[in-house]
Amino acid sequence: MNKTNTGMKEAGILLPLGVGFVMASSNDLRAAVGMGVAVLLALFFSAVVISALRKVIPQAAHLPIYILIITGFVSLIQMVMEAHFPGVVNMLGVHLAALSVSAVPYRDAEHVSGHMGEGPSVKTAIETGLLFTFVMAVCAVIREILGSASIWGIAIPFMQDFRVSALSGVFGGYLVLAIVFAVMRKVSGKSYEEKEGNEQ
Amino acid sequence: MKHTDLVKAVALIVVIVLVFGAAMFGLNFYTGPLIEANNAGAVYGPLLAVMPEGASFDGEAQIYAADGSVPTTLTDVPETVAAIYKEANGMGYAVKTTATSQYSKAPMEITLGVDAEGKIIKVQIDSYNDTESYDFRVKDPGYLDTYVGKDSALADVGLVAGTTFSSTAFKQGVSDGLNALIANGLIAEGVKGDDQLLTEMIPTVFPGMSSLDGILKAEPIEVDGAVAAYKANNGSGFAYIVSKGETMVMAITNASGKCFVYDTEGNYVADDNPDAVALATAHAAANQEDFNTAAQEKFGRMMEGAENMTALELPNFSTVVAGASFNVGDQLYYGFYSRSYGYDDMDVYVIIDAAGAIAKVDAKTIFFDAEYFPVAQGVDTAAYKTGLQGLRDGEDGAVVISGATMTTNSMKQSINDAFEVYAGAQLTEPEVPTNE
Repeated sequence: MNKTNTGMKEAGILLPLGVGFVMASSNDLRAAVGMGVAVLLALFFSAVVISALRKVIPQAAHLPIYILIITGFVSLIQMVMEAHFPGVVNMLGVHLAALSVSAVPYRDAEHVSGHMGEGPSVKTAIETGLLFTFVMAVCAVIREILGSASIWGIAIPFMQDFRVSALSGVFGGYLVLAIVFAVMRKVSGKSYEEKEGNEQ
Repeated sequence: MKHTDLVKAVALIVVIVLVFGAAMFGLNFYTGPLIEANNAGAVYGPLLAVMPEGASFDGEAQIYAADGSVPTTLTDVPETVAAIYKEANGMGYAVKTTATSQYSKAPMEITLGVDAEGKIIKVQIDSYNDTESYDFRVKDPGYLDTYVGKDSALADVGLVAGTTFSSTAFKQGVSDGLNALIANGLIAEGVKGDDQLLTEMIPTVFPGMSSLDGILKAEPIEVDGAVAAYKANNGSGFAYIVSKGETMVMAITNASGKCFVYDTEGNYVADDNPDAVALATAHAAANQEDFNTAAQEKFGRMMEGAENMTALELPNFSTVVAGASFNVGDQLYYGFYSRSYGYDDMDVYVIIDAAGAIAKVDAKTIFFDAEYFPVAQGVDTAAYKTGLQGLRDGEDGAVVISGATMTTNSMKQSINDAFEVYAGAQLTEPEVPTNE
């Protein structure tokens, strides 16, 4: 890992790591934004602390320490969200707490924050958080409008007769996610090739 | 791992745990009360939403729980009522009740606010679990508001056309909630008006205007001289509620124009109410759809060689909208056209021979073909119809279609009604109800 930014190529690798919470939070835009903010904050704070402690964390013990730090921040974020956004926490259910053991923050900690300074780590964390927020929001907009005939929980009357209920379920979630992944990969591959070409 | 690394790791883990523990401890002073309030809001939120501003519910609010989780002195609470709460300042009660229709995937969850006088403050649906296409809130967005201010009589609260089963279940759920309060002396029972009593009587005196489970299947119409009037959805007739001095009576007419009149006690009072009879028969004569021609053509196609087709006067008020006697050779047959209520309305033709056995049955569409797809795959429609041949009155075993309850009920209703009219057709004088 010699680049500190998420980069478009990174998107194709990162997205499948977060498929669990992306799926769980992408059938409602409110849940998607809530989860996106939680991911962003968890990554941000974890990056700050882990990159600051990277020189004192023994190599052999980095895994439990990273998990402890990420879990601690996720727990704090969950407490604040439960206080202020109970509806969103209710929608996310166990998936918010499960963010602690998601591969996404651990990957950031393992590949970036554990080796680099606060600046690059925070930059990568924000990029990763924004990427997931964007993907979840796009999936949620598609699934909520077409699957539930609503947006941000507000019913869209003229869509009621045209909704595809399957999109609200697991099958529809994977279908939309697969399409978004495919588009992201196509775009990221093209962008990466252009970038490599320019560098040469 | 080196000894120093081990010590460093343990120390780091302890520090991290302490730091996050302290952070959570401190944060809990801020978030704890908010989370507690949110949790209380989740319980009391739906209750407060159906009560006036300023209402509050405390720890002693719940006075009944169907699961027995709170001690209660309430008795005779309908099974559909899940919980009852008493507002802390005596403003009234909030009742959580459920409703189930034939289209329910799970019970509808309803919260009902009732003031101390027994009037509905507000009613809301917390969880709607009927078939989405039968969501009466979409078909009539103002429907729930028609309950506001009503007492247990639910006067002028109707049903939503096109979602009769779901809206009936909802109305019953609301009634159950009110009845739980009435049964325990918490509110006074509302008094039903004559027009309401007579409307509720329709399924009893005119079964053809209701489904087998007693749900009125009619639309309100405007008729000069009548307080209220209804036209059966299947065209089997009309009901007219007519004012007579300080009371009211109800005249009903069937597809043949036959007219009966009832008072609020259910007594047959046609002889005392010639005005009601005149109004009803005149309106019915001008507006009753004639099904005889179509029915007789269908009987002719069903029974080759049918001749001497003669329309029958319908003696009762069933789903049968036309009847005819005819000959095939020297054999006498009776044909009946019934429009019953199943998954969707069905047009059923039943031909009965002179010995009282079914000769043939046909239907424009047997709805399990379209609506009960898994059932339809296992049912041979032609064989099903053939299997009904030879049945006599009361022998309806072969009518049952496993997995298609509503279609079964519809077929049963049509066949039973056909036999009923067949029996009436044998009478030399039309049957007139007695007041016993």
